[in-house]
Amino acid sequence: MTDTGDLTDWLTSTRVAVVAGKGGVGSSTVAAAYALAAAREGANVLFVAVDGRPGMGPLLGGRELDSNDRILRKVKGAGQVRGRTIPADQAFGDYLELKGVGGMLRRAASAASLPMIAAATPGLEHLLVLGKIKELERERAADLIIVDAPPAGHAAPFLRSATGLSDVVQSGPVREQSVEVDEMLRDPARCRAMIVTLPEETPVTEALELGAELRADIGLALLPAVVNSCWPDRAGLDKTPAMAARSHKITLSSSAKAALASSTDFGRARLERQRSQIERLGQGIGVPLISLPRLATPRLTLHHLGELADALVAPMMEVS
Amino acid sequence: MTDASPESFTNEIANAELLVTCGPGGVGKTTTAAALGVAAALAGRRVVVVTVDPARRLADALGLEAGAAADAPHRVTGIPGLSDSKSKKAKGANGELWALMLDAASTFDRLVHEQTANPKQASAILENPVYRAISGSLAGAQEYMAIERLHQLYTSGEWDLVIVDTPPSRHAIDLLEAPDRLIGFLGHPVYRALTVGQRAFAKVTNAAASMFLWAVRRLAGPQIVEDTVEFFRSLANIEPGLRKRAEEVSLLLRSDVASFIVVSSPRAEAIGEAEHLIGALRDGSFPFAGVVVNLIHPMPEPLTAADRVALDDLDDGPLADQVAWHDELTDLATAEREEIAGLADLAEDVVVVELPLLAVDVHDVDGLIGLADQLAAG
Repeated sequence: MTDTGDLTDWLTSTRVAVVAGKGGVGSSTVAAAYALAAAREGANVLFVAVDGRPGMGPLLGGRELDSNDRILRKVKGAGQVRGRTIPADQAFGDYLELKGVGGMLRRAASAASLPMIAAATPGLEHLLVLGKIKELERERAADLIIVDAPPAGHAAPFLRSATGLSDVVQSGPVREQSVEVDEMLRDPARCRAMIVTLPEETPVTEALELGAELRADIGLALLPAVVNSCWPDRAGLDKTPAMAARSHKITLSSSAKAALASSTDFGRARLERQRSQIERLGQGIGVPLISLPRLATPRLTLHHLGELADALVAPMMEVS
Repeated sequence: MTDASPESFTNEIANAELLVTCGPGGVGKTTTAAALGVAAALAGRRVVVVTVDPARRLADALGLEAGAAADAPHRVTGIPGLSDSKSKKAKGANGELWALMLDAASTFDRLVHEQTANPKQASAILENPVYRAISGSLAGAQEYMAIERLHQLYTSGEWDLVIVDTPPSRHAIDLLEAPDRLIGFLGHPVYRALTVGQRAFAKVTNAAASMFLWAVRRLAGPQIVEDTVEFFRSLANIEPGLRKRAEEVSLLLRSDVASFIVVSSPRAEAIGEAEHLIGALRDGSFPFAGVVVNLIHPMPEPLTAADRVALDDLDDGPLADQVAWHDELTDLATAEREEIAGLADLAEDVVVVELPLLAVDVHDVDGLIGLADQLAAG
């Protein structure tokens, strides 16, 4: 269990935070909000996009991410957010250089033949990226490295690449690399995962499965889990418009009643679903939950990201 | 609503022989594919729906359980208007809905069996440790296998309509280029040097290939080098077949029996990906039938100016909650409709079907039938 005493303690409770969720749950946005929240607390944060999803750099206030480590945003009187991508071929080159591999082997293993080598050693590309993240963590490249993990069911294979490779590869530097990555993933002071989901049945089921898989198969500790896109829980929607008006000592016109009923009926049904799904997640996942509001816009801006960062450090939900 | 004309997929449901649904994750793509299947079966056709990683409850509704058996078509039961009989009926006489779950590895195995001259050749490939490790993860394998399975089912002649739900693709191009990428892989100079005209490992003389082997040995150890060379060698036997198949699939997907339907939600990220995908379908000359925009929030009835005045300055309480919520839902629904209008403009003359976010999630057969009605009737 994570300490819930101080609302911001968990932000920097580990040095690498892997943010993971199925496609469509908004895990990249949550990762960006987490980076901003930690920078506001004074941390020097490095945001790493694994699959280079477009738009993340601008969302954080800088330019589009590439493989160069750049400052995206400085928070006045506090920390900063930097950002970069890690392409597998570059991670490979860096790794060879780090191992003192030169000349012919470097050329042989150049970007052109990486697809072949990767095909021969499955999971290698993921491992190279994780290996690079591990190097950044070791050199203390930042106080906190936030990893926006690949979406759509690929988060677990991505993280499992370190252990999976040992079945095929029994010696050599690739094996060393997988052992070192595995060590990092199993140490909660160095690395933890944040699971992101939505307050709906299917995403909650998938979040529970992902949580169990990360803990049991990979030995990865979890940060608080995030329920993204929650409707504000307005108790007033439980009543009909006429009942609600009575407690304000107002009488509604029939047009106002009809207009309010058209939104209230829909909102009430969705809220009931949301409450029961959050309860189910809280009972099963074993870490505290943070709910983030559903923003009334289909297009996110820097301003919205600030709202989400505020909500990340608001009091967490009680877990039964 | 947008100014797109009233629309439905009646034509595709009645006439298409191959339907491919594609789009970003989390927008109800699998559910849409299943609902199209229900609609076509109710129209009297014999339909099979190929799903990729369906959510548990939807898989249950379709009678699919995890495991190898799910890779073979299962009859979907419990749909009023369709017979549940297991006996095969004459094609087209009575609608039937079948479903299966894609298993990339076993589809690849089937392909290897089909393309090899004898069982010994097949098992040389199938039992190779490198093959076992990569058959599910080879570059673009899952996307390619979705397309390969579609080809297998289509050419079997057993089905009036084959519907394939594709893996969620952030890079939309992945799926459409999967056959070309496999051909590209097989044409890689290192691969060619390892497999063409070489009898033994010691005789690998091509500089690029020997450097490749040296690099793999240094990085991953000697064991994997032997397995890799052997794997590439045995794959060489089936390469012409794989290449021919990839070309056939590429032609089939561009023929007039096929139709692509893009599924999206009204969220900006999803719309952006859908627009990208539409561009890719058009650039690649794939038959693009239309767009389903799913999960649209309902637009509340507006408050009149007089009602607004009466509801101004409320103290905190249930009515204030309801007015705030009414405004919030109106703002969201308005913004979504602007996003959809942009997409409809881009989609030009194709079908655009808009589906509301329902108060409850669609997981069961009744939900699928309701959705099928909307896709068929608009």
